[in-house]
Amino acid sequence: MNSVAHDEDPQLASLELHRRVREFARGQSTEPFDELALSIARFQARHSPGYGRLVSAKGAGFGLLEDAPAVPADVFRILRVSVFAEGDDVAVFRTSGTTQAESGSHYFRSLDTYDELALRAGSWALRRSDDQLCTPVALAPLPKTPNHSSLTHMMELFMTGFDGRAFGTGEFNARVAERWLTSEEGVDVPGLYRAAEVAGERGEPLLVLSTSFALVHLLDALKGARVELPRDSVVMQTGGFKGRSRIVNELDLRHDVALAFGLEEERVVGEYGMTELSSQFYEGTRPGASWWGPRGQYIEPPWARIDAVDPETLELLPVGEVGIARITDLGNVDSAVIVQTQDRVRRGDAGIELFGRTPGAPARGCSLATEILLGGKSPAGWDTH
Amino acid sequence: MGCSSAARDRVQRLCAAARRIQDPSDPLGREARERLPAITGLSLENVELALSRCLEASPSEDELEQLTRGVAAAPRAHVLLSANVFVAAHRAIALALAAAPRVFVRSSRREGVMAELLGRADPGLFERVGELLPNPGDHVWAYGADETLKAFQAQLPPGVVLHAHGSGFGVAVVQHGHDSTLDWAERLSEDISLFDQRGCLSPRVVLYQGPREGVESCASALSRALERTEARIPRGRLHATESQMARRVSDTLMMTGRVIPAGKGWVGVDAAGLGTFIPPPGRHVVVSCCSAVEQWLHPHRQHLTAIGFSGDPSLRDALSDAVTGARISRLGEMQRPPLDGPVDRRAHSVRMT
Repeated sequence: MNSVAHDEDPQLASLELHRRVREFARGQSTEPFDELALSIARFQARHSPGYGRLVSAKGAGFGLLEDAPAVPADVFRILRVSVFAEGDDVAVFRTSGTTQAESGSHYFRSLDTYDELALRAGSWALRRSDDQLCTPVALAPLPKTPNHSSLTHMMELFMTGFDGRAFGTGEFNARVAERWLTSEEGVDVPGLYRAAEVAGERGEPLLVLSTSFALVHLLDALKGARVELPRDSVVMQTGGFKGRSRIVNELDLRHDVALAFGLEEERVVGEYGMTELSSQFYEGTRPGASWWGPRGQYIEPPWARIDAVDPETLELLPVGEVGIARITDLGNVDSAVIVQTQDRVRRGDAGIELFGRTPGAPARGCSLATEILLGGKSPAGWDTH
Repeated sequence: MGCSSAARDRVQRLCAAARRIQDPSDPLGREARERLPAITGLSLENVELALSRCLEASPSEDELEQLTRGVAAAPRAHVLLSANVFVAAHRAIALALAAAPRVFVRSSRREGVMAELLGRADPGLFERVGELLPNPGDHVWAYGADETLKAFQAQLPPGVVLHAHGSGFGVAVVQHGHDSTLDWAERLSEDISLFDQRGCLSPRVVLYQGPREGVESCASALSRALERTEARIPRGRLHATESQMARRVSDTLMMTGRVIPAGKGWVGVDAAGLGTFIPPPGRHVVVSCCSAVEQWLHPHRQHLTAIGFSGDPSLRDALSDAVTGARISRLGEMQRPPLDGPVDRRAHSVRMT
């Protein structure tokens, strides 16, 4: 099914799909997940030239969701994956490649759906209830303008959505140094103590949002000291150590972080997301979490699904087998509703277990290992809408 | 330089040994044909073609002269062999024999048949060992992936001279309208099919210099040629990771361009030159429209070992200037460089400190 002349107004169609996705996420829709995902996939085949080519090349039908082709995550580094033209961008999130040429880009015409889904998922994973106020801070640098990090955007969203109050008097502004506690100088430990104090005075939890690597730096900076956090506080931990000079054992890190903060280990909650998606997946370990799951299993929110597929055939694997993650994300209305990653996963009882990235084809002998490098951005005039 | 007559004699003895293996009527030749397909994963037809066309068993006097003159003399020489391209053992050992009277050879754990057969063809010419133990002043020729060589280098003692030949790949350049499409496509398909594209000389990218609308017909012609070649030289088995990567790259190409099936492999079309795709071995190749070939080649020169071309003869000089370390040849000759020195001309010699 290729991009064909269609009476449909893509912008109106997109708005309608976004509406359906948000209703679905709110639990206000009886539309089945698969049906909604297929509607989005068909829409993308009609209006995203690259996806249209993929669907046409594979001769794919849209009878069953598992038959709809997935967009390889690599494509985000090479091609604009979008149903709308560049002039309609309101936001662009970029992956953290070594150079801009290596980074992938995810374009958004609107962040309304993204934000709603992120707040919903973050709320159940990290807060006791949807209306519980908390004090979020990030072990991350102050965002730049424009911000191209989806993680930073999410952190800022939590500061606004779960808090929205300044630490002292005055108007709330998420982009202040007291919220973003790392810089070139390192981790702002006094700032962290101050944030814990504010949360304590408010009688509410502190929510520490951090990458694994930043947590390691924090522990180094604390040198064994502790930061006692108020009751119900949570640490959201995301990311691994790919490409870093230092790798720390995951279990040890959780333990040490919990100890440093005076928390139960279950309150260090893992988050899995990627720039190419609109949705996030969390561990369900926070005590009292409505979507509970054991450590190491990432819960799929109702609007997103992770399937383990065979790396060679891309066919769905039986439960319990390790494959690579095929992610169906209803939030990706305007980009790629189904993304094929190289992350190794397995379905557990409550969620998805992650086993890291599939290594690239290892170099065997003298032949250069396969690479998909970048020759630069798409030249103007090619693949425009 | 190791250009003594003794050095030439040693190399000629090795070539005589290689000719025995080349000869299907020789017991060692028969044994090679029995064992190599299983151990390499290549089809018997591919092994046969490699033995007959790529094993440099009969160098000319000039080539021998160049080879022996180009190698530094050493008290002892050591060779760490790679797998993938089984005939490479012959040249690697030849270089070492040109350098030193005493040569130690350690085969790859994945393929040691060729070195074994060469050794049996002329007992005492060199020694096969399980571990290389070079002394200061010895020279070591090491072949393999960059990561392997890095690790190997780290454990060499000071004073050893290492000649490292790491990861590499080949590129084909096709000038529109110069040679007949059928002609260059057939020749290139053989370059691609030999060793199932696993060698450092194997072309994995085709840079098409011509109008953008010509890329598709170029790719189509190549895919048909690959199908014909596969009919007489079947593809062997792929490793799981190679298959996985092939799938990943082809799906990406389907979105950014086009993928044309070519027997068990495929030809990707990157008409807009959107990316630099270096597909996995297994007879997969990407054809990119490229007006400024030198610009494409330049950032990859570190890994480029071979450039084959179809076009005006003056293109040879231009390509040679663009990538000084790569062997330049006509299409169809990429996998059979003369025995005049190392296959890989990129300079990677270092004395350990």
